[in-house]
Amino acid sequence: MKHLLLAALIALAPLPAAAQEDRQEIVDDVVQNHVLPRFETLAAQAQNLAQTAQADCKADSPVLRAAYGDAFDAWVAASHLRLGPTEVDDRAFALAFWPDSRGVTPRVLAGLIEEEDPIAFSPEDYADVSIAARGFYALEFLLYDERISSLGASGYRCALVRTVSGDIANLSAAILRGWREGYAETMTHPAPDGAYRDTGEALKALFQTLTTGLEFTIDLRLGRPLGTFDHPRPKRAEAWRSGRSARHVMLSLATLGDLAGRLAADAPALHMELDAAVARAAGRLADLDDPIFAGVSDPESRIRIEALQQMVIDIREMVRKDLGPDLGVSAGFNALDGD
Amino acid sequence: MTRNFLLTTALAALSATPLMAVERAEVVDSYADIAAAKYEDSLIAARNLADKVDALIASPSAEALQHARAAWIEARVPYQQTEVYRFGNPIVDDWEGKVNAWPLDEGLIDYVDAAYGGASVENDLAALNVVANPHFTLSGQEIDASEITPELLSDTLHEADGIEANVATGYHAIEFLLWGQDLSGTQSGAGERPWTDYAKGDACTHDNCDRRGEYLAAAADLLVSDLEWMAAQWAEGGAARAAVTENPDAGIAMMLTGMGSLSYGEQAGERMRLGLMLNDPEEEHDCFSDNTHNSHYYDGLGVQNTYLGEYVRRDGTLISGPSLSDLVAETDPALDDEMRAKLAHTMFALARIKTAAEAGFAYDQMLARGDAGGEALIMGGVDALIDQTRTIERVVSTLGGDRIAFEGSDSLDNPGAVFQ
Repeated sequence: MKHLLLAALIALAPLPAAAQEDRQEIVDDVVQNHVLPRFETLAAQAQNLAQTAQADCKADSPVLRAAYGDAFDAWVAASHLRLGPTEVDDRAFALAFWPDSRGVTPRVLAGLIEEEDPIAFSPEDYADVSIAARGFYALEFLLYDERISSLGASGYRCALVRTVSGDIANLSAAILRGWREGYAETMTHPAPDGAYRDTGEALKALFQTLTTGLEFTIDLRLGRPLGTFDHPRPKRAEAWRSGRSARHVMLSLATLGDLAGRLAADAPALHMELDAAVARAAGRLADLDDPIFAGVSDPESRIRIEALQQMVIDIREMVRKDLGPDLGVSAGFNALDGD
Repeated sequence: MTRNFLLTTALAALSATPLMAVERAEVVDSYADIAAAKYEDSLIAARNLADKVDALIASPSAEALQHARAAWIEARVPYQQTEVYRFGNPIVDDWEGKVNAWPLDEGLIDYVDAAYGGASVENDLAALNVVANPHFTLSGQEIDASEITPELLSDTLHEADGIEANVATGYHAIEFLLWGQDLSGTQSGAGERPWTDYAKGDACTHDNCDRRGEYLAAAADLLVSDLEWMAAQWAEGGAARAAVTENPDAGIAMMLTGMGSLSYGEQAGERMRLGLMLNDPEEEHDCFSDNTHNSHYYDGLGVQNTYLGEYVRRDGTLISGPSLSDLVAETDPALDDEMRAKLAHTMFALARIKTAAEAGFAYDQMLARGDAGGEALIMGGVDALIDQTRTIERVVSTLGGDRIAFEGSDSLDNPGAVFQ
């Protein structure tokens, strides 16, 4: 979607926003109980993935694929938290380069394999490689893509699988370290000369991860395969090669639902409404029973996927129009702005 | 209607300002004046480009090609400074794809190197080559392209098949026709299209020189007419001017939306950081001409001059008027200082890239894997742009209190809401 048309909607916010100490409690809770556990899980699962790849690097190895799936799940659950440590050294970009509308990932991987580029023998050096050949989406090609998973010499591909897995583990560990050794403190203790000048700025940043996360699911995870009625694009679905497209939407609903609930801690009625909306969307998704959104091409099932997308749009609207004003924050500019 | 009424009332009550203060209405007026001047400059420069293109086709020579390329580079200077209007102004955003769409699958237009490949999973038409093919099938329809007209480009080819990479019109299509593909990867060097691609008779290289010339002329004419249309939107009585001036609060929201979205998601993210992280020269914004350092620089300048309310025209005239800066300084002088300092710092970082490129370190080279100097230059610009976005958000809070909510990347739900 090239033109994510931007408009500045002006809305009246109700006057009373959450009190200062309540806002601080919300920030503390989100950091301690939403953010940190997710990056702990990611670091642990990524470490397990790297170790598993050392033991068995074959693309069709069930243990390796299972470890890959667990680590990818952990990433998706944390993927909206694009703050601080994920943005240092392009870590989140390197973990998750998608969408890849120009097919750069298979091109760069094929180049490395055909040339047997020695950079693939060290996870540390590998940080210099194009982000398109790093992270979970590159590993998906190495494990599941028919052409890439059988291209060139198996020994080299094996090294590549191990190195990409090791790089994922390094990146995930560095993000967790960043949160533990400073960024959690930075967010929960705003200071006039800090990255967050007051609690409101920290809260706004967390609120923004929620709205951007919802937009990612609406516009990319669902919007890309939907395409237009005349041009549905099933092959643009996220991670269809490993059959994970719908799973990612489910994981994102769960993790964003958790975050929304914590942000709505002081608004019980809204909290319940959000929970119910997320549950409805999750139920609709489960009913589709279509792991890679192949149904976008068939008018009958397409309607049901469009309805799911609309339900997520409704959640986002509830977040913007009700939750934001309740907290006294609004979303700022985000990385999906632009084209 | 009700919504706007409430809004106006609330904001009027809120912004009971002292006498002599800068009025929001004056700020949006000067914004519209400057936009009008930028588009008019872009139009003048595009007309000059079209003249040089006509001269190239009439009497092809290396010199004539060089003149056309120089005119293209000049035309980018005012145009890039208008990019700050894109994201906040729907009239601009809906239109800009015609003139500045990018990146493109250039094989749609003309011959390409074998390494380019053919049709891709994403785009069946990636290697269509209209210059070489007077007849082809598009989405099941027989197309007669025996005559290449502006209408063929805009109505049939542009975004054909619903694919955005099918860019048939605008600056980058013209750029490709003047320079050709840049095949030097992350080495120094732009496209090296020979002037004989436009030569007559036996001197013609790569075949179909007449059709190539027809395409180039049609694209240049179309650019002129598209810019005529946009300049009129900002002139007195134009729709784009009305959209920002009728409700000054909405106009100010649009100004800031444009500044923030261009700085962050578009320039820092899509245009600069992504290319660097991918080490991919095809992600260069002006990749055929190797003019990317200027494209970034003038994008940044457009953001800065929108805040400062001043613009130097291509004839040297300075246009200035009441600005966002004046408005912020009234309520929070420290924040105004912060905003000015950050914008100046961004321009410093972007000037470093421009200086290095002009001294011979091409933007492609900066993107090379493991090139620490290039990475530091580009990340200097990226970090500055991200940092200035934080301050733009603070300006939003200061000018709007809790009452102006800047929505993120989408108004699919109700795009017209603000503008009724």
